[in-house]
Amino acid sequence: MLPTNDAVENAAGEVNLRPSSHQTFPNPCGANLAVAAGDTLRARSHRAMGTEFVVYLDAEDGVQARACFDAVFDEIDRLEITFSRFQRSSELSRLNRHAGEGPVVTDPEVFELVATALDLSEKTGGAFDLTVGRLTRAWGFAGGQPRIPEQSELAAAKELVGWGNVILDAEWRTVQFARPGVELDLGAIAKGYAVDRAIDMLRSLGVSALIDAGSSSVAAVGEAFSRGWKVGIANPLDRGLTICEVELGQRALSTSGVREKSFVHDGRVYSHLLDPRTSDAGEAMPGTGAGQVLQVTVLAPSSMLADALSTAMFVLGHEHGSAALAQFADCSALWIHSEADGIRCFGHGWPGDDFLS
Amino acid sequence: MDRREFIGITAAGLGAVALGLEGCNSPHSIAPSDWVNVGVIGVGGRGQHMMRMLLRVPGVRMTGLCDIYEPRFAEGRKVTGEATAVYNDYRKLLEARDIDAVLVATPLGLHAEHVIAALDSERAVYGEKSLGRTVEDCNRIRDAARRTGKIFQVGLQYHYAPWYQEALRRIGDGRIGKVTHIHACWHRNNSWRRPVPRGQEAQLERLLNWRLYREWSGGLLAELGSHQINFANAVFGAMPESAIASGGIDYWKDGREIPDNLQVIFRYPGGQTLVASYVTTNRLDGAQERIFGTGGSVVLTHTDATYFKEPSDPNSAVPPELAIQHKLITGPTYSAEQPYHGKGESAKGGEAEDADLLACREFIECVRSKRRPKADENVGWSEGVTVALGNRALEEGRRIVFSEYLGAATSASQQLSERNRQS
Repeated sequence: MLPTNDAVENAAGEVNLRPSSHQTFPNPCGANLAVAAGDTLRARSHRAMGTEFVVYLDAEDGVQARACFDAVFDEIDRLEITFSRFQRSSELSRLNRHAGEGPVVTDPEVFELVATALDLSEKTGGAFDLTVGRLTRAWGFAGGQPRIPEQSELAAAKELVGWGNVILDAEWRTVQFARPGVELDLGAIAKGYAVDRAIDMLRSLGVSALIDAGSSSVAAVGEAFSRGWKVGIANPLDRGLTICEVELGQRALSTSGVREKSFVHDGRVYSHLLDPRTSDAGEAMPGTGAGQVLQVTVLAPSSMLADALSTAMFVLGHEHGSAALAQFADCSALWIHSEADGIRCFGHGWPGDDFLS
Repeated sequence: MDRREFIGITAAGLGAVALGLEGCNSPHSIAPSDWVNVGVIGVGGRGQHMMRMLLRVPGVRMTGLCDIYEPRFAEGRKVTGEATAVYNDYRKLLEARDIDAVLVATPLGLHAEHVIAALDSERAVYGEKSLGRTVEDCNRIRDAARRTGKIFQVGLQYHYAPWYQEALRRIGDGRIGKVTHIHACWHRNNSWRRPVPRGQEAQLERLLNWRLYREWSGGLLAELGSHQINFANAVFGAMPESAIASGGIDYWKDGREIPDNLQVIFRYPGGQTLVASYVTTNRLDGAQERIFGTGGSVVLTHTDATYFKEPSDPNSAVPPELAIQHKLITGPTYSAEQPYHGKGESAKGGEAEDADLLACREFIECVRSKRRPKADENVGWSEGVTVALGNRALEEGRRIVFSEYLGAATSASQQLSERNRQS
């Protein structure tokens, strides 16, 4: 969803933001983008990978801006066609169809992303797991109607979930599954990778830009208006309130929260952020239960890493998450827990700490 | 024969085709002598895409990258995942000894120079479509392939898409009656312009946006329409005998030289017509081919085919029991002239696979087995010449009669027709 305050939309769906005074545009990922009076930002949104990508450009030339938008969205579409679990002709679907039968060779880009996902699965002790797809499907979070699965369904899914089932051979660039039926799901990492590729492209074009991928990933390149790109972290209980502001320099930001996809059953909130180690859906009751993780935001050198780690940090919680995060250079995290009287924030290497517990 | 047979893809039949191509996914079983080393001339967006596809085929290595724009070297090496040798002169690449096959993905106006040089260097060549920018270019490329006897495959990847092949087979079997018209469109809503690095616009505009300038580009008809023209030529078993065209630079007035919208009507020797439309200001219709026969229709997209049956009438070539009845609007407002908005029978066609990957797999298999590709120089020539003369109709603002440019047009059509019958 593009911001509309003080915005002028043209026929191509492009929005030029011309705020009359300093204001913050809330965007759906929990980050708020600050734009000052007199600045002109061009923005355009594009639906891909099951989410809404919004690109903000600090570009004076409209022709060039349009070409940038088109090129970025073409690249994102290419990656969707490559990594989609839903499109049968995608490379990921081809691997899922055949890697249970034996080693399947793939191209270096796909191999590298799978290898990165496997490495992250191992380093997070399976809190992030590249084979979680079957579990997500059993809970109905993969495009279906979310629900509590039957025990038999859960048991069948559990058999096939586990990063140890993925066998990679870097020399031959092959992907193989230890048993038929295992499935790769790069959903928690491919979107961030797409943001990284888009950022690389914009950097090579010498453009200052910010990309916001739906409900989780934000990254920026260049310095908008010579002041840098600032985003605010929203309060999960009241999206209009900002908890803190972060300047996106070399690091990308990713937020995972219960509000993205969840359902209520018998008064309990079940989130799509499943724990692949136990097969349970993350449970939270915003505003009522104490000590529940409501939202985690991670700053990391790449959007891909931020994406995977925000998922893992949500599953691990503050205490275990901090220990796991220590393995990753230049990564910070902000956990927001629910308390009886509101929220409580915990940080790991988070810039600015006056609001932390 | 039942309705299912008329409409449905027989999963077993297509599955077998797909399995034949997909049978080997592992590089371990490829003998060292069967590894294919590929050199690439033109490492831009399309070149990089095809490199990724080739690298998904077991037993393929990229051993040389050539481009005149230096940033492509780093981009290309990122795709290959290694420090692949790079060249800024294609002749140097062709001198390298560790290259078995060449991918040519350069601007259209350079195809002839690069493809012919690669064929002359005794390499198998995968040449991107359209075959050549002019009739003369197309002739030269076809003649070079024949003269050298080397494998040449043109980048018309839908030639390998199972749902396209199935459609051709059913049409050939008369399942939709006599095909009289094909309406093809490729409608987008973007400028077709690539971004140029800030501050380097003057130096790089024509290099990066070559598609927008007449020197190297055949415009929308070549870059998009070639696939559809290839399909129409296959359906009609011939090349067109004439073309008229309309179009211009009417919306994107940004200094480009090629039309931002274009409509071409091709007439075929059997009295059939291809109406082809390309716009860059509206994407409602997307890319599709609508094949109209006296007994039914097929709508083809990049991912599937949908079959429709004409309501039974005396002219229908298909027995009523095979019909999918159109759910025409009923009631007092019923009109037989209303467009049909209901569903047809959808058929994706066997194992869903990326058409580019299928084409790359076929090319590598042909290189290994020294087999002639289906999309060979003759198929490419038919497509390339049709595109070139369609563009000529627009440039000259008049009806172009193909035989005036192709002395042997009739015999070429016959050859093509013969090929189609055989395949």
